[in-house]
Amino acid sequence: MEHIDKTRLRRNDVIFIAALLAVVAIAGACLYFLRGEGNTVTVTVDGEVYATYSLAVDRVEDIHTGKDGLNRLVIKDGKAWVETASCPDGICAAHKPIHREGESIVCLPNKVVITVSTADSGNQPDIVV
Amino acid sequence: MKRRILCAALALCLLCAGLSACGKPEEKLEKFSAYSFDYFDTATTIVGYAENQEAFDALANQAIARLGEYHRLYNIYLRYEGMENLCTVNELVDGAHRTVTVDRRIIDLLLYAREMHDKTGGMVNVAMGSVLKLWHDYRTIGIDDMQNASLPPMDKLKEAAQHVDITKMVIDEEKSTVTLTDPQMRLDVGAIAKGYATEQVAKWLEAQGVRGWLLNVGGNVRAVGKKPDDTPWTVGLENPEDPTADYLAYLSLTKEALVTSGSYQRFYIVDGKSYHHIIHPDTLMPAEGYLSVSVICPDSGMGDALSTALFCMSIEDGKALVNSLKDVAVSWVTDDGKQTVSDGWKEYVKK
Repeated sequence: MEHIDKTRLRRNDVIFIAALLAVVAIAGACLYFLRGEGNTVTVTVDGEVYATYSLAVDRVEDIHTGKDGLNRLVIKDGKAWVETASCPDGICAAHKPIHREGESIVCLPNKVVITVSTADSGNQPDIVV
Repeated sequence: MKRRILCAALALCLLCAGLSACGKPEEKLEKFSAYSFDYFDTATTIVGYAENQEAFDALANQAIARLGEYHRLYNIYLRYEGMENLCTVNELVDGAHRTVTVDRRIIDLLLYAREMHDKTGGMVNVAMGSVLKLWHDYRTIGIDDMQNASLPPMDKLKEAAQHVDITKMVIDEEKSTVTLTDPQMRLDVGAIAKGYATEQVAKWLEAQGVRGWLLNVGGNVRAVGKKPDDTPWTVGLENPEDPTADYLAYLSLTKEALVTSGSYQRFYIVDGKSYHHIIHPDTLMPAEGYLSVSVICPDSGMGDALSTALFCMSIEDGKALVNSLKDVAVSWVTDDGKQTVSDGWKEYVKK
């Protein structure tokens, strides 16, 4: 009698643990995929974080720097670029749209850096040169 | 019953461990970054792992301050109150260069530059300042006023090229002095100073026990140790022919330097043709044949000098030079967009 009871308990334990493991796996997977969609661009001005925007949301943002510095950031179809800028060289506005992790647009005169980052950076480069 | 409780506890622990592992792969270290725009005419990025923002900032600010010191010492165009730098070494007083007592960091740079000059058969030469100044001046005017952009006249370039003998840069290590004995010569450390300074800042960080940082001083990349999860840094190398195309390579760096010289980096346009900033010591014109040359090696100063030197050499000669050096890997992208790599390069390409 006692012997049978032990066996049954053990079988139930196995089912119980399997169920809990399944919950762990599902929860882990949910977290993983939720993190995966967060492609963002981070804007810093003179080293300070100015704002972070999702690449999934189309928008136009004016980044104001210094006295009258201005870089107009456009995010559309998952890509970000600088539409117009107050700086004399216009290098940032000529830069191709960025969307891959580690890519950045730099405006030296206005000290603006726009960098693509992802919460889940599994196989993406840390920087691009 | 007891055992069931135990099992439940164990499973809960697993659940917690599983969730926290998903949410936070690097335990307590977080990734931070800092930027500077003030030095070496370029943007500097520092990325690193630290316990918190304050700890990161404390080190990053010191690293940037150090970079600033090198920038002032190695500046050939600007002089600073109360200090001798390469600008004052280049200055003429009564038609001649003075013997200038300089900071040890200038002596070290110039000695290293001389070493690299000899190693590359003169393909990187800091004594070429008179030639490079002509190009610099014409380029500066040409960028400002594109309609009237012009090339420096060849007779002027040839005249300047009479005064590029690096043996006339006389260094007295004990007295920490440097003298340019040809009044017409000038130093230009543009091919080496940025990389050399990056290396010194990286070495300083290493001496502080820092690991898991990455410096990028305008394309002079230097890794300072692996990331906290024991993985290397991944650097995406842009395709110089088409920046919107896939990366040329994903490179894995743990403690190496990666320096790229590109004809697309600094240039100006005369009559619809682009003229870049890497001037061949023999032709006195922008070196031809490559879109970019990238070097991976243990020392960022060496990488900087080598990428310039290799830009001025055939792939064949370049491979011979690379094979004579230790732990150097190179990628050449020729004008037709084709990539050629040296033997060691594949070791760094991420699979």
